[in-house]
Amino acid sequence: MNVERRKVAIFGAAAAVRFLLFTCFPGLPDLLTGRVEISTPVTSFKRLQEGLFLYNHNVSPYDGGVYHQAPILLPLFALLPSSQSWPSMTYLLYILVDILSANALMKIAKSGEGGSSSLYCSPRMGKKWSGYAIAAAFLFNPFTIATCIGRPTSVFTTCAILHAISKAVVGSSFTSMFALSIASYLSMYPVLLFPPLILLCYDRRGPKQQNDSLLSFVSGNVMGVGGFLYSLFHMSYIITGSWEFIESTYGVQLLLPDLTPNVGLWWYFFIEMFDSFRNFFLGVFWLHLSSYVAGLTIRLRRQPLFVIITLLGIFAIFKPYPSISDTSLYLAMLPLYRHVFPLMRYTFLALSTILYATLLGPAFYYLWIYAGSGNANFFYAITLVWSLGLSILVADALFAVLRDEWEVERPEMRGKEIRQI
Amino acid sequence: MSASAHATPMVRPRVESASVPNEVQSTTDDAPVNAVNATPKKKEPPPEKPEHIRLRILVISSWWAIIMFLGLPVWWYTTTIYRASLPLDEMRDWADGRVCRPVFPLRISIEADSLQDHESQHLLRTTQHALDDLNDFSAHHLRLQLSPPTNASVSANGISVEGGDEEVALKIRLLPGTETKIDLQAYSPILDVYYTPNQIPSSSSSSSSLATSIANKLRELFAEEQAMIAYLLSTSSAPPERSPKALAPEVTDSLAKWTTRSMKYSRTYHLTFSLFTPTAVPSSWDIEAALEEHMKPLLDSFSSISNFTIDTQVQLYATPGVSGSVLKKADLSGFINAAEWPLSPSIGGAPTVNFIVYVGDMEVEGGGKSWLIPQWGGVVIQSDITDLRPAMLIFSNQLMSLLGAPETGSLPLRLLTLIRVRSAGLLLKASGTMGSLARLSDALRSISIPKSVADGVYTTIEHLNQACEGLGGKEGLENARIAEEAAEKAFFEKSMVGQVYFPDEHKIAVYMPLLGPVGVPLVMGVLKEFKAWRKRRMGGV
Repeated sequence: MNVERRKVAIFGAAAAVRFLLFTCFPGLPDLLTGRVEISTPVTSFKRLQEGLFLYNHNVSPYDGGVYHQAPILLPLFALLPSSQSWPSMTYLLYILVDILSANALMKIAKSGEGGSSSLYCSPRMGKKWSGYAIAAAFLFNPFTIATCIGRPTSVFTTCAILHAISKAVVGSSFTSMFALSIASYLSMYPVLLFPPLILLCYDRRGPKQQNDSLLSFVSGNVMGVGGFLYSLFHMSYIITGSWEFIESTYGVQLLLPDLTPNVGLWWYFFIEMFDSFRNFFLGVFWLHLSSYVAGLTIRLRRQPLFVIITLLGIFAIFKPYPSISDTSLYLAMLPLYRHVFPLMRYTFLALSTILYATLLGPAFYYLWIYAGSGNANFFYAITLVWSLGLSILVADALFAVLRDEWEVERPEMRGKEIRQI
Repeated sequence: MSASAHATPMVRPRVESASVPNEVQSTTDDAPVNAVNATPKKKEPPPEKPEHIRLRILVISSWWAIIMFLGLPVWWYTTTIYRASLPLDEMRDWADGRVCRPVFPLRISIEADSLQDHESQHLLRTTQHALDDLNDFSAHHLRLQLSPPTNASVSANGISVEGGDEEVALKIRLLPGTETKIDLQAYSPILDVYYTPNQIPSSSSSSSSLATSIANKLRELFAEEQAMIAYLLSTSSAPPERSPKALAPEVTDSLAKWTTRSMKYSRTYHLTFSLFTPTAVPSSWDIEAALEEHMKPLLDSFSSISNFTIDTQVQLYATPGVSGSVLKKADLSGFINAAEWPLSPSIGGAPTVNFIVYVGDMEVEGGGKSWLIPQWGGVVIQSDITDLRPAMLIFSNQLMSLLGAPETGSLPLRLLTLIRVRSAGLLLKASGTMGSLARLSDALRSISIPKSVADGVYTTIEHLNQACEGLGGKEGLENARIAEEAAEKAFFEKSMVGQVYFPDEHKIAVYMPLLGPVGVPLVMGVLKEFKAWRKRRMGGV
């Protein structure tokens, strides 16, 4: 089969599935938009509509404290016909973003960075999935489809992150940094991906930059990211007319004033937190989230792509406002390391835990909010299970990659059980 | 390559091909053993490569760097308790009465135009002497002075200012008469003393009957005020040596009642006059005229102390809380039907004083048709409301009591006394609050002290100083009121007590379970790394 035709077939099928779901079940988009698992206070499509309404009526979109998303989304959605009267335009936009993400993912897979980076070559690298399989696994993942139908703005972040990586693996650091800046501008947390991403760019840098030292390479790109972010902020300032958006978007992510339940761990913790310790533990949680970056980047210096993947998994668990969209991104990236799957030990446990939480989560949420026969602990318990499943998966994948590296050094230990000494 | 130098002596005969998992390893202090040893030794792994060690140290130090350079500042910044510095010594001085003695040197001027100058001087001396003999309470003493002989007629209204800027509490007019008579004018603070010519003390005598009688009269007039101030001082936190001699128990009792009866001082009071009737009649009363005629003059004379706002209401078909034609004294507290009668506790910020006329034929056990409810108001039962004068007179009396005025004396004197007593009370209360705040801040080192509290303390002390200077006058009262308000506000600052219920021991309970699981691996990682480093060094040497 022709290569291009396979790509078109996958993308077409994915678009068709999404479009069918949009059109055959007209109630489904709104239903999924309301789900806390998909829409968080910082990504919700409903809140975007509120901000858009205010923006179109020349009121500051941040008045009323409902809209916490980046200002640049407003003119973009203002250009589209209203999602009330012409919903299909919005649907098409979200379908297009998903397909762009899948396309970027395909490029990453094609580069072969997963099996053999410039500093490391896995002995198992032959065992990998094609880019089509990986793109299909992303596009037909129920989490991805549900996210697309629920239309949170996190899909734009996902798309930007994937593009940043796909540009990094081909060595175009400038474009990669631009994409990373957009992702950081939209959701703030992707800025933590900078260290592994810059290493990835450095490892794959083109012949022109071959003589650059790491320090000058990094500092140049730091300035690049700073410049992009500055121009994005300035554009936002022009759009909204004030710097208020900084506090309403990044301030909300940092200080967590909105404790709407979600699949993460923060909301319940900060409901229960003593007021005098709230600020301290906000600091602790953010430091916890960001402290993985340095350690992982140093330890897995030879495989920066896997650092990015692991960090994305950690963010999906420990972010202030996570949703299944973050999980779907992690699950999309993980198959790039298909060759280490045989080394994972708890795949069944992790996947069944995630499946269990996926099925019971909505039920427990229903029991708490609608039936009233449960309480917040019900839902929090299931989000703990969900996070546990994801943690097992992340830790297991990390273990597998480390084991893979170790076996290069000690080929004689291949296939042996590990034990602690 | 320094790998061999780092190898520990324990594993010197390394087995390079570890293909047999349970191969027994020989150690340095053991004789070579064969493969069938009964207690197989644990297999040692090959030594780590130096770059692995370096990597691990880097990873551990990256975690510690985050903790040191980000975690500690965050911890410090978010958990330090803001404690504004308070002038603790000054506050304690106020509370102990070291800064300000609430002393009222009451000036009493003697106007003796009809006497020779030396005669009046002598009379003043002997009277002052007699007064000092009678007085045993240093905080409250009467000082006589001669008013300069002016031709200007004595101003008829309240307080005339003479003898410098100090306010004169009472003026004595010496008037020649046919018999000795001492009269207190009812509507101005003037004491008329009529004397017969033979009563003028000769310059040789050290005492005279006129002087003694004036002194006795003065003492009688100010006895109640003196008792009130003595009582206030004795109940305040002032040191015992400052307190006056013990008051008689019955006086203490009546003063305790006075304290419980009178309302908290406020710049504005709200008066509510209500007519309650059990039937449909009468549906109106001539309250406006009655207030204008009987209440207004009293309220006007109060204007230097407090302002009043007034509203009235009529309530039909109102049943009291107790029934029967004779009300038992024990039942009086239940007479007000708090559940049904629309008597709001407070309108605006000002405290409300309620006056109730109940149309009925009841009588309180043992006679009497009116009573006072401490700190709340008064009730009058009256069957006919065409004439409101008696009710108004009763209410006037009740209002005086509720505001804390003394029982005896003429109206101007009572008002002046009220000012002095109120100022002293507020001054002592604000000082006491300062002391409590100082003790609170000392005792609870962990509570936060926001800036507003410190501001309140400084305001209080500033106004206390001003009040102390102008004690006895209207200015003093106003300053004392501001001081007291600021002190209360500072003491009851909400954000200050948030930490009170969170002692230091509880902090361990917060930190331990949350940070313990994070801290243990980090600390253990460093310890392990340090041990390995020492071992390598010793092995290398």
